[in-house]
Amino acid sequence: MTKPSIGDLLGGVATSLRESVLPELPTGPTRRQLQVAIAIIRRVSLVWDKVTSYLYFDNRDIEQTVIQICAVLERGQVELVGVDPAALRRRLKGDDARIEYPPHDALAARNIELQQLLVDIQEALHAPALHNASGPARAERDEIAAMLQALLRRMLERELEVNAPPQPAR
Amino acid sequence: MAPASSPVDLAGRLCGFLASKLPTARELRIDSLAPITAGNAREVWQFDFQCIDGNAPRKMSCVLMRKAAAGQLETEPDREFRIVDLLWGSGVPVARALWIDSDGRWFGRPSFIMERVAGASDLPPLLKGEAAQDSRRLALNLAGIAARLHTLEYEKLGVNFLQPTTIESAAGQQVQYWESLFLKHRMEPHPAMVAAFIWLKEHLPTARRVSIVHGDFRFGNLLYEGDRINALLDWEMAHLGDPVEDIAWAYRALWSPRAFVSLDEFVSRYTELSGIQVDPETLRFYRLLGEVKHSIISLTGARAFVDGRTRNLFLADRASTISAYLMQFLDWLPGADKKTTSTARKL
Repeated sequence: MTKPSIGDLLGGVATSLRESVLPELPTGPTRRQLQVAIAIIRRVSLVWDKVTSYLYFDNRDIEQTVIQICAVLERGQVELVGVDPAALRRRLKGDDARIEYPPHDALAARNIELQQLLVDIQEALHAPALHNASGPARAERDEIAAMLQALLRRMLERELEVNAPPQPAR
Repeated sequence: MAPASSPVDLAGRLCGFLASKLPTARELRIDSLAPITAGNAREVWQFDFQCIDGNAPRKMSCVLMRKAAAGQLETEPDREFRIVDLLWGSGVPVARALWIDSDGRWFGRPSFIMERVAGASDLPPLLKGEAAQDSRRLALNLAGIAARLHTLEYEKLGVNFLQPTTIESAAGQQVQYWESLFLKHRMEPHPAMVAAFIWLKEHLPTARRVSIVHGDFRFGNLLYEGDRINALLDWEMAHLGDPVEDIAWAYRALWSPRAFVSLDEFVSRYTELSGIQVDPETLRFYRLLGEVKHSIISLTGARAFVDGRTRNLFLADRASTISAYLMQFLDWLPGADKKTTSTARKL
């Protein structure tokens, strides 16, 4: 059974609240609370079925980018304290990759692990020890920084699709 | 004492509190008590009170501001009360600060009372340009108020309760403050936010001067009538710092008056009135910091809701706004590549 979907249900609840409950409330804090609740329900109705795939693609994108970063690090010009390529590759082997259809919770937990991996790389990349890096090392550091910045932009774009979805015409 | 739960209860507490502050007052009466907002950092109530003080009748319209149980800001009402009190009569329009219940003994949480100032604070009519000429003049008046605030001789004013700063340390102190809140309230690692803080810390500007900075200086935080600004509101984020921080914040997309006055024109007007030059790189730094700052405010509110410290629904979904602010941050970085990638769109 797929109908009514959760999106249909939540969208209907939001519409009912907006059309039949909200007009009964006078201006004031209670009315504003309901307006916010309707907006939240509306947003969730539009994205409830996208969040799992968002996490799946986010995880894959982070993993692929970190593999590329490992390849740069393996050239050996730049050394990131505490983030050597072998350790990074070990951290990339998450449980969700071994499951054919990873559940939402596993993808979310993996996403948090991968976020932390990115934080660790960034902090190592900007450690004071690298401020006076040599030409080739600095070039590799800049290459990794550019890869990370492009990844962060892609991650934010994906987040925006679930956090601020386009609103359908009423 | 637990927070008042009904208007009747609150009216009783107000009577007791005012009687304690006005020992010569008799026949004290509270009227027209009503909530204005269930705010995100505090609750605000308006009321009238009258009494016989000595032998003379006294009547005032006031607002009570009570700290919210938890919210999007970590506020110190005592500090805000003191700064507004000091600014009264300085040429910066503020409501008159009257009395404070610093420890929440009377109202359950720290609270203070201000004299009510006439005017509207609604943001949408201003930004929609329902009276575009008024919106334009208001924006230019705002530039004038910024000039006045930022050129006050703050040492003489007696703001020694604010954290001291220097032209070298002002930017770093703000970054450090917001980063400490981020680390306290984040619910996941947030690599984009970490990257933003790294960038900010590597590009700290030196201020041209130190001023009192409002901290939430913008359309929506003022009481206006027509094109006149009667009072600047919400001083809870006031601090000593680089005045450019206020200019940058006033032009965040959510409340920017740019449809009526461009940022360049605003800055020109401000510089003409204050003599303070606004360095473009410093302005960019504070515009970037503004995106991070609003992200942390949203995160703080969302965390308070998730932890069950507030039931204010306005805060419930605030974390969903962060991605847009951080995307704006990336777009404003020098040399930003704004291309949307196909990988990102695979949902």
